[in-house]
Amino acid sequence: MTEVVFPRLLEKEPGAEGVLATWFVSDGDQVASGQLLAEVMVEKVSGEVLAPAAGRVSLLIGEDQTARQGEVIARVD
Amino acid sequence: MSATDTSAAAGAGAGQAGRKLTTARAIAEGIAQEMERDQGVVVIGEDVGAYGGIFGATGGLLDQFGPERVLDTPISETAFIGLGIGAAVEGMRPVVELMFADFFGVCMDQIYNHMAKIHYESGGNVRVPMVLMMAAGGGYSDAEQHSQCLWGTFAHLPGMKVVVPSNPADAKGLMISAIRDDNPVVYVFHKGIMGLPWMAKNPRSVAPVPEEAYQTPIGKATVARVGTDATVVTLSLSVHHALDVADKMAAEAGVDLEVIDLRSLVPLDTETVLSSVARTGRLLVVDEDYQSFGMSGEIAARVAETDPGLLRAPLRRVAVPDVPIPYARSLERAVLPTPERIEAAVHDLLKA
Repeated sequence: MTEVVFPRLLEKEPGAEGVLATWFVSDGDQVASGQLLAEVMVEKVSGEVLAPAAGRVSLLIGEDQTARQGEVIARVD
Repeated sequence: MSATDTSAAAGAGAGQAGRKLTTARAIAEGIAQEMERDQGVVVIGEDVGAYGGIFGATGGLLDQFGPERVLDTPISETAFIGLGIGAAVEGMRPVVELMFADFFGVCMDQIYNHMAKIHYESGGNVRVPMVLMMAAGGGYSDAEQHSQCLWGTFAHLPGMKVVVPSNPADAKGLMISAIRDDNPVVYVFHKGIMGLPWMAKNPRSVAPVPEEAYQTPIGKATVARVGTDATVVTLSLSVHHALDVADKMAAEAGVDLEVIDLRSLVPLDTETVLSSVARTGRLLVVDEDYQSFGMSGEIAARVAETDPGLLRAPLRRVAVPDVPIPYARSLERAVLPTPERIEAAVHDLLKA
């Protein structure tokens, strides 16, 4: 199992909170390593979340929900 | 929505069947694939590089292709559009971003007296294979100088093709077609279809996009929804609204609307419009551009000059009344072609 974390877009504020803007995959999808999983945003900065490994993805938060940088937002099994 | 054009490619995304992209990412992917294929494809404009385009249409290109092919410019529209025209005349295929369509005022001489005329005045000996990309549309309180559509203005002036996609798959395919076209192509995207995190969520702005390069034909409309009671002819974000209204009215009132996504204004696919109107006998044109002297009047004229007998009821138009786009949210919603205005117009059309 590999954890997918909310990326650190604001280096100076490690604990900053952001928003999961768009999931490009659905819960339970089979994903390839490096595949684009999500777009996230902290303040007005947006960033990508790529799959760290291949496998079946479980989404732990929904679109428009907030998370802290570094928080686990999905798992790949 | 564009299954007829992209179905051949849709199953081919090995390992990532049904891979979804936002419209912004789909445009950037189309440009990137053309840049890989052809060294002459370059990107020029304000904030197209490190920032990735203020609406994300050029995201990732600087990292992939470097500053020699992705040029961030100063605020100097006349100069960098002229640069693009010169590069195109010399055989390159530049994609030049004007940013907001509203900004055309400061650089219109380059656009309509040079980009759009060099191929004519040279008797076809000099080609201008250039894409002029710009963002359009309102709905987010950006007021009169950052919310206009203006695609009708570009379509009115001869010498330019004009394309206006509504969804991610068409956005990629039309960008590739625009880059490969030997004529100048104005490529207009509505900000509300881009799938941007800071805009209002729009479920139709994230959708499956084939991974390989493919072309969506310029000048070919698509029937986004098949129906029998009335034809709604529209484009861009208004396609999304029309489809939402069609779903709602089908469920609530048993009304079966046909929705045509024009996708291109120049050339205009008159045949698809006429064959639909011939079947339904009722026509509503929805346009987020200004009403008078624009696309909605042009559609009406083409139907009338072909066969006014096709219409069993007077046609209806939902467009922006001839006023600047207001800043105040309530006033802006009053002038935009909202789902509420479209639904009211359909009721009116069906009663007539």
